[in-house]
Amino acid sequence: MTAVFDLPSTREEAWRWADLGGLAAAAALAPIARPEADFLDLPGARLVFVDGVLDAERSMLRRVTLQALEAGDHPLGRRAAGQGWSLRLDAEAAADPVQIIHIATSGESHLPSEIVLGDDAVAEVVETFVGAGWANRFTRVSLGTGARLMRSVRLLQPAGFVSLREEATIGAAASLVTIFLGAGGQGSRIDATLTLAGDGAFVDYGGALLTRDEQRQECAVAVHHAEPNGTSRQVWRAVAADRSQASLAARAEVARHAQKTDGEQSLRGLLLDRTATVNLKPELEIFADDVKCAHGATVGELDARALFYLESRGIPPARAEALLTHAFVADAIGRIGHETVRDAFEADADAWLEAAL
Amino acid sequence: MATKNAEALAAVSKKYEWGFATEVEQDFAPKGLSEDTVRYISAKKNEPQWMLDWRLKAYRQWLEMTPPDWAKLSIPPIDYQDAYYYAEPKQKKTLASLDELDPEIRRTYEKLGIPIEEQKVLAGVEGARKVAVDAVFDSVSVATTFREELKAAGVIFLSISEAIREYPDLVKKWLGKVVPQHDNYFATLNSAVFSDGTFVYVPAGVRCPMELSTYFRINAENTGQFERTLIVADKGAYVSYLEGCTAPMRDENQLHAAVVELVALDDAEIKYSTVQNWYPGDENGVGGIYNFVTKRALCQGRNSKVSWTQVETGSAITWKYPSCVLAGENSVGEFYSVAVTNHRQQADTGTKMIHLGKNSRSTIVSKGISAGRSDNTYRGLVRVAPTAEGVRNFTQCDSLLLGDQCGAHTVPYIEVKNPSAQIEHEATTSKISEDQLFYAMSRGLDQEAAVALIVNGFAREVLQQLPMEFAVEAQKLLGISLEGSVG
Repeated sequence: MTAVFDLPSTREEAWRWADLGGLAAAAALAPIARPEADFLDLPGARLVFVDGVLDAERSMLRRVTLQALEAGDHPLGRRAAGQGWSLRLDAEAAADPVQIIHIATSGESHLPSEIVLGDDAVAEVVETFVGAGWANRFTRVSLGTGARLMRSVRLLQPAGFVSLREEATIGAAASLVTIFLGAGGQGSRIDATLTLAGDGAFVDYGGALLTRDEQRQECAVAVHHAEPNGTSRQVWRAVAADRSQASLAARAEVARHAQKTDGEQSLRGLLLDRTATVNLKPELEIFADDVKCAHGATVGELDARALFYLESRGIPPARAEALLTHAFVADAIGRIGHETVRDAFEADADAWLEAAL
Repeated sequence: MATKNAEALAAVSKKYEWGFATEVEQDFAPKGLSEDTVRYISAKKNEPQWMLDWRLKAYRQWLEMTPPDWAKLSIPPIDYQDAYYYAEPKQKKTLASLDELDPEIRRTYEKLGIPIEEQKVLAGVEGARKVAVDAVFDSVSVATTFREELKAAGVIFLSISEAIREYPDLVKKWLGKVVPQHDNYFATLNSAVFSDGTFVYVPAGVRCPMELSTYFRINAENTGQFERTLIVADKGAYVSYLEGCTAPMRDENQLHAAVVELVALDDAEIKYSTVQNWYPGDENGVGGIYNFVTKRALCQGRNSKVSWTQVETGSAITWKYPSCVLAGENSVGEFYSVAVTNHRQQADTGTKMIHLGKNSRSTIVSKGISAGRSDNTYRGLVRVAPTAEGVRNFTQCDSLLLGDQCGAHTVPYIEVKNPSAQIEHEATTSKISEDQLFYAMSRGLDQEAAVALIVNGFAREVLQQLPMEFAVEAQKLLGISLEGSVG
């Protein structure tokens, strides 16, 4: 597949755990019948993209527009330049949730998008990926002073690969929350660079990657604190079964004058089989001297004492395992603020766990 | 806060006390690097043919390799042809006694505070602790003390060039086993041109009766030092090894690319302590040593244990990752590190713990202290192989920033392929809090003493791992940056 040749090799630090072979294989998958996916019961815009092309019949654009978009020079992102979707809100505007379903039926599809919120604007975006093939997406987020964006993204493709390149600029006192759930059978790479560009900006960026069989999912996220008083939270959970591999690389960078930064990373991996692999890289890069930055990382299996406790209360072992794993995953996806969305994500995670355990 | 900063900066800006150069007549290899240089070094050392072949093989591999660029370091291009790869004091090196040593070199070591003389006196004193010292001056080991007493215990403690001649089988068996010739760019270079170093073999069941110690000193201009250390602890053996290094102040950069290999067989234990104080360059980053070192231990036997302790205060650029391959069942790896960077120093250092054996355990405690315009990176890897059941790892890396022009970075890699592993990693970055200062000062300490107390506490977990002899020196060295440190 020529398409992946110009991607960096795994010899490069930022791509060390990337599954570039899986990406090429996904692009070469045989076409499948168009899968169905339902929207959540929420008001607001609904967009269906089939192989990166809007299905106008099933879509309601509302405030979303389609237009040509730039996509930067990131090796993944730049492929997505061209016609994409754009959500722009003026100051103090609030939109109903925007739901987007990405359906892949074959080959590779690339699609750019942008979310630009004016001062104090509020928006919510829910994205779902289904189908097979290589879905490559670029998202640029720009938040004005005090703007708030809540994004939830679930990767539910039974096969193929989803690569997401995200670039965000977060203004003063603005807040970006993005939670991912990788509970399909696809490979994935979530590749993000987030800049806290205003005083007191907040970002919460994390999620849960659940892998089984030969699957490989990874995130490679860098949060850059460019201004003082910023807060960042990166909570990632990985559950790996069979011969799969889940990799979490999260970096917090604090620029010289970004004093009073509060950065926290929590990366935890749960191994369900001895053939599975979890890779973690919680990275800190700090140039300011008055900051609070901490990271915690753990890998292991379920706590034997917790299992024993549940069993002693009459809960069968399989159920006990499911309960504890559910709680483990909930650390990350429980951060979704919208109840309907959170319930849907938890149901997807539970379905995955039920099949895996 | 301003005064505190000023005091701290004054403290960390103390002069490098070991920056003198010694006037000694020296033999140099012709400048530059070629197969001839390798042959020259090998011939100088009267090495057997197999050793020369081994070196040449490494040299040819090195020509094909490129320097690593993944570390968070900015390394100016190094002209490998603009250095001497071998410098030897013109003194005959087979000495009947230490008294025959070139007085200039002796004086150098006295200035460095190496207790060669002192130890001879102490040798007669009942109950005094002894340290056997091997001193490497530029490329050659000039003095090894207490050889006889060690021999009586069965311990072989020689310069590596002597060991190649006297114990070729032992050296052949282990050299390059832990760090293969082609391991990385600098290790391969070292394999080709290593000049001297230390060889230690502790036979089965022997507890080495004293601490072993090597002092490395780069003296000549334009030289690189490429020492090679090989320590083998046979079944049930124990040895504690100390290493110290200094260099004169010079405006150009000098390269130090060492390789250290440790092997611990069943139930053996090796404790390896380093106080690294190469010349760090001046405040503007002119001069200083490039310290590109490959250190690795193989815990091959059951219940074997290797403990690395390092206090890194010198060098313009440090690229160093003392590692443990924990192959034996129940084997234990430990890494305790304090790295201090100041001015324009750069350090990218950490460890690798490769867990292959069942129930192997490792502990990593890393304390990074950055000041001036320096960059201090912890880079570590904990890897658990699929077959390694019941692995435990605990990692803690803390950074302390003194001043607002420096950087502290943490890059831990965790790769786990066995669910029974318990891996924990914690890291914090901070300055000294006002509360801590206030508390200490309310107990009557002045500001400087309070800060020193707190920062000493910060590094204490590592310092207390050092053997007594080194702990004192390390405290003194650290004091340069720790006294009056500030948030």
